[in-house]
Amino acid sequence: MSDVLERIQETPLLQLSMQQAINRALGEILEADDRALIFGEDVGVLGGVFRVTDGLQQRFGANRVFDTPLAESGILGTAIGLAMAGFHPIPEVQFDGFAYPAVNQIITQLARMNYRSRGTLPMPVTLRVPSFGGIRAPEHHGESLESLFAHVPGLKVVSPANPQQAYHLLKHAASMPDPVIFMEPKARYWNKAGVDLTENSASLEGAVIARPGTHATLIAWGGMVSRCLQVAELAAEDGIELEVLDLRWLKPIDEAQLAASVSRTRRAIVVHEGPRTIGLGAEVAALVSQSCFDTLRAPVERVTGFDVPYPSGDLEDEYIPNIDRILFGVQRVLEYRRG
Amino acid sequence: MAEISFPLPDLGEGLLEATVLEWLVKVGDQVERNQPFVEVETTKSSVELPSPIAGIVLTLHGEPGDVVLVDTPLITFAVADDSAGIVGTVPQEAAPKRRVRLSAVLDED
Repeated sequence: MSDVLERIQETPLLQLSMQQAINRALGEILEADDRALIFGEDVGVLGGVFRVTDGLQQRFGANRVFDTPLAESGILGTAIGLAMAGFHPIPEVQFDGFAYPAVNQIITQLARMNYRSRGTLPMPVTLRVPSFGGIRAPEHHGESLESLFAHVPGLKVVSPANPQQAYHLLKHAASMPDPVIFMEPKARYWNKAGVDLTENSASLEGAVIARPGTHATLIAWGGMVSRCLQVAELAAEDGIELEVLDLRWLKPIDEAQLAASVSRTRRAIVVHEGPRTIGLGAEVAALVSQSCFDTLRAPVERVTGFDVPYPSGDLEDEYIPNIDRILFGVQRVLEYRRG
Repeated sequence: MAEISFPLPDLGEGLLEATVLEWLVKVGDQVERNQPFVEVETTKSSVELPSPIAGIVLTLHGEPGDVVLVDTPLITFAVADDSAGIVGTVPQEAAPKRRVRLSAVLDED
């Protein structure tokens, strides 16, 4: 025991922000794989508008880390062509709302090239998209596109909740033969946390329990995980032990973990920033209803954004599920009685 | 602290260079976003350039009268490690506040 403690003390975890963790992962990917390329708007000379690609062009040169025109369709078209030529592109779309001009390339080409070519043209593309809201930015800078992309066969979708996950999930995504939409919760870019650089890749599949609990399961991803952890902390003051399940992978969803958690707690609340209608929460609720129908004590509750365009910064805190709205959702589930 | 350099942008249609007329800031100054920091002259016009970020001026790349090429460094700032970058603001981490209390009679069957 004592030598274990000593070893822990000898190797304190690196304290990194998510932005730094992603920067480090990108550097290591480029280091290890000379077919990996990074490109997008302002990712080169400037180092990214959030400095996520800071220093990478200086380190690896402008042939491997380069700026593109302000044309997202072109960024994705370039990535698709490079992937066909054997490269491993890691393009960035600067903001969630800028992905719309690239949706045609993503859906009609990127997602189905492998299928269309009967496996002869795999698309090992990792598309980084700073996502979700919370930073008081203008229009098109706060959107949640997970349900749009998760609906498209051929794409994988993942969103890290903390620096540790961001570092490992990005390296994992970049090693995959399939296109992965990597949704970075931009409101969490600056929060520092310990990062253990030595996680094995098996632990990077599926969902994780961010906090164990017994009375209900909060299901979240990306930036909403930390908020749900706050809610769980507050609920404990009232004697309610909430489990927080961090889905991480939004396509495919870890149905087994989801079912296992809700089977134990028998109540589920899914929390996301995006609008409610056809949001990913609907899929989660359907999966839970199917796998846990006999054990559920209440209908699955959804606490989400509203069915309106993402609002300006002044109204952001009303739009994104806040602590009280999530607690209300928990209360509705707790007090529900059949019949 | 981190350093961020900004190159001279193309201020017109395919201009290659501009002449520094006057620096509106000096090394060590705290500059706010959108604050004009330099006046430059191109073959078309003279313009004041607004700072794309907030930061402390570290280096001015050129004296008044010097010609700066498009895409070469114009100014370098020092910015805090947790500064926002170019778009948006860093969310403030406040202690979680609540108004809603949970009350539940849990039937543990």
